[in-house]
Amino acid sequence: MKPETLHRLTFKQGCQEGFPIFVGYFPTAMAFGLVCRDLGMRIWEAVLFSVTNFAGSGQFLAANLIGGGALLAELFISVLLVNLRYSFMGAELNRNLEKGIRGWRKALLAHGTTDEVFSVAVLHRGPISKEYLAGLELTAYSGWVSGTAVGFLVGMILPPALQLAVGVTLYAMFSSLLAQEFHQKGFMVLAIVGVSATLNSFLILQCSLAIGWSFVISMLAASFFGALTTSDSEEVL
Amino acid sequence: MNTFPFLTPILISALATFLVRALPYYASFLDRLPRFLSKSLRLLPIAALGPLIFPGVILDFQEHWYAGLIGILCAAFIAYRKNSIIIPILLSILVTYLLLL
Repeated sequence: MKPETLHRLTFKQGCQEGFPIFVGYFPTAMAFGLVCRDLGMRIWEAVLFSVTNFAGSGQFLAANLIGGGALLAELFISVLLVNLRYSFMGAELNRNLEKGIRGWRKALLAHGTTDEVFSVAVLHRGPISKEYLAGLELTAYSGWVSGTAVGFLVGMILPPALQLAVGVTLYAMFSSLLAQEFHQKGFMVLAIVGVSATLNSFLILQCSLAIGWSFVISMLAASFFGALTTSDSEEVL
Repeated sequence: MNTFPFLTPILISALATFLVRALPYYASFLDRLPRFLSKSLRLLPIAALGPLIFPGVILDFQEHWYAGLIGILCAAFIAYRKNSIIIPILLSILVTYLLLL
């Protein structure tokens, strides 16, 4: 562990530590650009999406719901729930952040919170400076936004048969995330996902429920199920 | 409105995302939630994966329902072995493409 209390974390250091996140975000954002193009968006709409949302799975979910013709209320609640984890990350980050950051600076730093930014930033023991966090977030952000634009442009030169196959992108991303969660946290993950997937399929196919509400109900039911069945000693998270 | 059908949903989604991000910086009640509730909330991202995949991955490909399914199984397998997202995604696109031919 470096003696981090001796020096203040700099903007440059933030950018350097953000670079691996940039590399990871770029291709995922490309996939998002492709999805937006599939939905019939214009390039500026896709870019605006990434600029204003900056949320991996939240954006994919939103795109999915928009494509399925969900109501705005369904969209709002679903996105709110799937991104609720940012509240917990933000609470933790806020505790470690140097004091005295206010107004629009604080709002901008909050907008940059993502899973990856959070996990890199909280590795530092000492107070996190606003310059460092800004560098980290800006680097990650630029990867996400530029990747979206590039993905959209790449979509314009793909042959139609390949474009249909690209529709699997979204699901492939979620199943990859699932496999990694399973790897880290074990069978509990499969049980929770099994419950939510089954319930969602049932609600949509049997009850013809709108996809947004069905999503919200299955997600909530499965997390309560998970919280009930895991003992507190189990370090699921 | 109709000229830009995507504008409102994009901004609604942005608003929802910003609200949950800004909340902890301005309110501290999140630290004092009942244990069961905070545990459930932390499990939400995992629980979300199920409905994000099913039944969409089967319905989207209609009569080729197996194409997407086999595609994501390949992705999951690779992602489990290697800590990567982009390689599994590219592989699943390739597999699905071949199955749709």
